[in-house]
Amino acid sequence: MTAQAEAQRLLPRPLLVTITVLLCAMVLVPLAYIVLASLNSDVGVASGEFWPSSFTGESYSKIWTTADLSTGIVNSLIVCAATAVASALLGTSTAYVLVRYSFLGRLTILRGLVGLQSIPGTLMLLPVFVLFSSAGNYLGLTVIGTRWGLFVAYLTFALPFSTWVMVTYLRGLPRELEEAARTDGASTLVVLWRIVIPLSLPAIVVSGIFAFLLGWNDVLFASVLTRPETHTAAVALQIFGSAQEGGALPVYSQMMAAALICAAPVVILYLLFQRYLVGGLTAGGVK
Amino acid sequence: MSAVTAAPPGNKPGSKDAKPGKKVSERQRPLWLLTPGGLLMTLIILIPLLLALWISLIDLDQYTLRRWVEAPFIGIGNYVESFEAGLPKSIWLSVSFAVLSTAVTVPIGIAAALVTQNAYRGRALVRAVFLIPYVLPSFVVASVWRTMLQPDGIVNETLGLGSTLWLSGPNSYWTLVLVEIWAAWPFIYLMALAALQSVDNEVHEASAVDGANWWAKLTRVILPYLRGPVLLACLLATLNHINNFTLPFVLFGAPAPDDVNVMPMLVYVTSFQGLRFGLSAAMAVISLILIAIPLYAYLRAVRLDVDK
Repeated sequence: MTAQAEAQRLLPRPLLVTITVLLCAMVLVPLAYIVLASLNSDVGVASGEFWPSSFTGESYSKIWTTADLSTGIVNSLIVCAATAVASALLGTSTAYVLVRYSFLGRLTILRGLVGLQSIPGTLMLLPVFVLFSSAGNYLGLTVIGTRWGLFVAYLTFALPFSTWVMVTYLRGLPRELEEAARTDGASTLVVLWRIVIPLSLPAIVVSGIFAFLLGWNDVLFASVLTRPETHTAAVALQIFGSAQEGGALPVYSQMMAAALICAAPVVILYLLFQRYLVGGLTAGGVK
Repeated sequence: MSAVTAAPPGNKPGSKDAKPGKKVSERQRPLWLLTPGGLLMTLIILIPLLLALWISLIDLDQYTLRRWVEAPFIGIGNYVESFEAGLPKSIWLSVSFAVLSTAVTVPIGIAAALVTQNAYRGRALVRAVFLIPYVLPSFVVASVWRTMLQPDGIVNETLGLGSTLWLSGPNSYWTLVLVEIWAAWPFIYLMALAALQSVDNEVHEASAVDGANWWAKLTRVILPYLRGPVLLACLLATLNHINNFTLPFVLFGAPAPDDVNVMPMLVYVTSFQGLRFGLSAAMAVISLILIAIPLYAYLRAVRLDVDK
């Protein structure tokens, strides 16, 4: 160990090892069980096996007929991708103005963007539900139960969040390039399109991914605003889980497989964009 | 690029202005760029929030929903009723659950940050493991714990607890707290780690030169650096705990057992199962007032602007 590393040491080695092992066990033991149970048979899991007596992938093939997971995943992908694209694009242009120009009410908007992330979802869902259902009553428009209704509902929290992520990024971007372009006669649109967007592309992608994840992880809005054909993956899993307690033979193995399938897109996104996403987490300070 | 191309034509700041630099952008503020995002946010956020306030003042239920514009105005009637409909207990449950979860996750998170600060072989792997509970979606975490905590599930099996009920009755509160802690500590870890990494190397060297032992160095030198960021993380974590709907909903289902009937569950059940929209709007507004205190503190602490 170098002298510098030695100076930076914070904990004595035995303590460091103990804490690391304890924390890893806390995470990995349940996780190992989940993975093992998903590779077990339903009967094996029900009999209380931790280590499967025989490994099988059949839970992963059965689950598609037991639960309506494929519909849910397709719906989730469609709605969340639309939410991601819309909020990343709108968020970028809004954030650019908020960061670069001063005007009356600017601080209020910034505060609002941060504050909105901590507003109870139920408070937001209630009026959205009433508005959507009155669109049905007064205008003869079906909104509740459609994918685009859910998309609009997701924008209520994804848009302020993406905008805030872009604000935290863009304020670190030096102005000089933009100013040079302006001196050369470039219009705002050209500056935005040729300079700001290319320079902040990673942040735009991250803000889009965050919007996607917010939608993918949502249960509240989806449980109220969807019907069986437009269920999201989260609702499909939740319904499947609560249907387990009917007294019939429990299918815990398939339950674990379904949960892991629902987690897979999120885990993949994190693996691909780990560096950016973790940075964004601490910058935006919100999951 | 609808946001960009939707601009009105003929707005070319640079062409008219010869003066370079800041003044150009100051005078030619392209505020129209705010229109698409701003209009949408007004339409889907501001108006619904104001509507929620209005709904809390009218008697809106499944009968009046069809013609909610004509629903009778009853002033603070819903607010009065909500205090008789289990709200005080829910407030207590939510606050104690949130504070307890934050209080337990802080030492765990800080400890995790401390053990991953120094480089060693395999540290990247440990860091990745620490992030797992956080990366997993809440509904997945709740679903798998719900399965593991069934009376005939693996937890009772392993711990030899017979068929202890974790998902109903008085234990359910502790189930909620424990699962929340399992899922939420990496957030504190991330914030503490970011703060730890910003401590200058000189600080480490100075305390090494002073010959401080690890405990003195940790408590007198390092931890004070973490205070600000961790306090901020605490505020945010508490807000997230109070607003957490997914975990109780997926763990216990709706209506929730009495001991885990936290605010979001109460509002949800009152509106979408009891169909008392006015009443539940009043409850939601009260829960907003409840979180206003930590939210206000958070908004004061967070860096809003470029210069400050």
